[in-house]
Amino acid sequence: MSRTVLICDDAIFMRTMVGDILTQAGFEIIGEAETGVQAVERYQQLRPDLVTMDIVMPDMGGIDAVREITKLDPGAKILMCSAMGQQALVVEAIQAGAKDFVVKPFQPSRVLEAVNRVLAA
Amino acid sequence: MDAARYATLFLSESREHLTEVDDALLALERDAAHANAAATGAHIATVFRGVHTIKGMAAAMSYAAVEQLSHALESRCEPLRSAEEALSGDVLALLFDGTDLLRAAVDAVPRGHTELTSSMRAFVQRLGSVAAVDDAGANVHAIADTPEVIPDVPSDAVGTARQVDVRLTADCPLKGVRAMIVLAKLSALGTLRGAEPAQERWQDDLFDGAFRLTLQSSASDDEITAAAQSAGDVARVAVTLARPTPAQGSARVTDAPRTVRLDARRLDTLLDLVGELVITRDRLLRAIEQSDHPDRAVVRAAADAARLVATLQDEVLQARMLPVAQVFDRFPRLVRDIARDLGKDVRFTMEGREIELDRSLLDAIGDPIMHLLRNALDHGFEDADTRRAAGKPASGELILRAARDRATVVIQVQDDGRGIDRDVVLRRAHEQGLVQEQITTLADDALLQLVAHPGFSTARSVTSISGRGVGVDVVNTRVRALGGQIDLETITGEGTVFTMRLPLTLAIMRALLVQVGGDTYAIPAAHVMEVLEFHGASRSTGALTITVRDETVPLVALQQRFEDDPLAPAVANPDGVRHVAIVEVAGRRTALLVDALLAQQDIVVKPLDAVRGARPWFSGATVLGDGSPALIVDVSSVA
Repeated sequence: MSRTVLICDDAIFMRTMVGDILTQAGFEIIGEAETGVQAVERYQQLRPDLVTMDIVMPDMGGIDAVREITKLDPGAKILMCSAMGQQALVVEAIQAGAKDFVVKPFQPSRVLEAVNRVLAA
Repeated sequence: MDAARYATLFLSESREHLTEVDDALLALERDAAHANAAATGAHIATVFRGVHTIKGMAAAMSYAAVEQLSHALESRCEPLRSAEEALSGDVLALLFDGTDLLRAAVDAVPRGHTELTSSMRAFVQRLGSVAAVDDAGANVHAIADTPEVIPDVPSDAVGTARQVDVRLTADCPLKGVRAMIVLAKLSALGTLRGAEPAQERWQDDLFDGAFRLTLQSSASDDEITAAAQSAGDVARVAVTLARPTPAQGSARVTDAPRTVRLDARRLDTLLDLVGELVITRDRLLRAIEQSDHPDRAVVRAAADAARLVATLQDEVLQARMLPVAQVFDRFPRLVRDIARDLGKDVRFTMEGREIELDRSLLDAIGDPIMHLLRNALDHGFEDADTRRAAGKPASGELILRAARDRATVVIQVQDDGRGIDRDVVLRRAHEQGLVQEQITTLADDALLQLVAHPGFSTARSVTSISGRGVGVDVVNTRVRALGGQIDLETITGEGTVFTMRLPLTLAIMRALLVQVGGDTYAIPAAHVMEVLEFHGASRSTGALTITVRDETVPLVALQQRFEDDPLAPAVANPDGVRHVAIVEVAGRRTALLVDALLAQQDIVVKPLDAVRGARPWFSGATVLGDGSPALIVDVSSVA
């Protein structure tokens, strides 16, 4: 059975890109979220194996969403998607419970490496 | 007597000696002009004795920083004392600096800091390398090992204490964050006893991805290695037994820095080879990506090879890095001499001398800095009377500063003089027909373009120091040729700051590869903030802009810029989606419109011998994995 993923990003472009990379590698995208609030709701409904989380989103940012999700499920596997120049925010996200990160612009190989690391842990 | 009493004695005596050393150095500086051999000899003897005594006390107390600094100073004084070498201004400046650092090291002892700071370590290494250069000619480059520090390990926890040395891959993004993940993985195996550099410093720009953790754990070395590697982007892990602490309790240095001498040309050859290796690696990875059924063993071996190449690249680049002090240290004397010739009273300070740059860049920045210092001294500073009348201190302040900013090094020359007179520049520009008559105000960047115009000078007379209408022009050309950029900030009556921004190395850079009008171009990744999908632009006051998270950012269509044709056809991606790369230069953001994003990768920079008069949009060229060439976009000129 393929592993399930919830993609959280306010940009359709980014959701599509991450979705394509993961689908091609055999993952099943079971949901998408455009805001932090949606991310937490969908996580609760869908309980995916993995969450990819953008940092800057409207209506609750990615870092707060990580905190909320980790509260619901301390074992949640969350991969942060950061832009260059967001080092301090990534640090905060990892402290909040995210397991790993990738930096935009995405290289498919790096995204898959990170996803596999997070799932293997 | 107990230890506290020893410590108190050490402090008071060291400080006495430091004061004597300072006095002797000042006397040496004062008497330099009319040197009296006997008096000079006596002062040098005082300096030598002072640092020697401090060294002995520090060794007894296990104060590593004080011991190493005073040892380095003592060694440097030796040839002076035996009169093998005459005292030069540069060496004197070096001794002044060393004494300041030594004082700082002594003052740090009561606060419990006994280890070398990075600036102290750089200084000790520099004393070593200066000596090497002095006695073997200029084409010799010293590589120093950092002193090995054994951490303090209490013995009451479960398992054995291990030192875990980790090096992240050269292309690992956000190294500080990756190091946190390594730490989290290891913490799961036992108790963490220490980190070097300290965790607070991992998010600094200077953190290079090499760190040592001390872990008390019952896990095997292999388990520890595997855990560290599972964090990702780890190039190397070495697990060794942590040795017990010496009786004194404080960390102690086991070994003086070891150096080997190396012909500098070997480093150049090595770097060229690594560059070729990087290109070959990318070709190999691409070939594997494109094959339908890659062999798993081949994929794994290629990934290992790629990681090793990245580590090798990192090591070679690191070996080529030298502190800017090697160039900076000749300036105090030069500034002093020029100021004296001009009859100006100027206080000169330098900051960030320990910042490191690739040696090829280091060789090239000396002249531009000298030009800017000369300009400031000659044109920037008013005479003492004018300054007093303006309510300023009679002596001017000139600062030369180096700092790291992401993957660039920033070098600033700052004066508190009269500032550049915009009216004079404008009048002169009107006379020379460089600016249209109706333009009556100048922003800083327009001003820079004018003063950097070949042959432009506002100097009333040509002096021996500067003012021939070269200067800023030369600086601008040189800095651009190095892949850097220059900025100017000036306030009338308050002073001028010239800022040069340079890449850390000339040879290899990370770049975003994009497609524009059917060709591939490389945009230096150091300038790229983010990449977004293009959803159309709006026009505000004539210029195209896009909105990024409520912020208006000017848009530059690269194709039109490169072809200098505002009507150039907008060649779209086959699927119709285009992208913008948001770049930042000197705090200003610009969106560059491209047809497609291709990849982000390391490129080997080949200098571009541009034909005179050619468009300045490119700073160099590179060869891609498939063997085709690509131009490197000079972000500061297109943005």
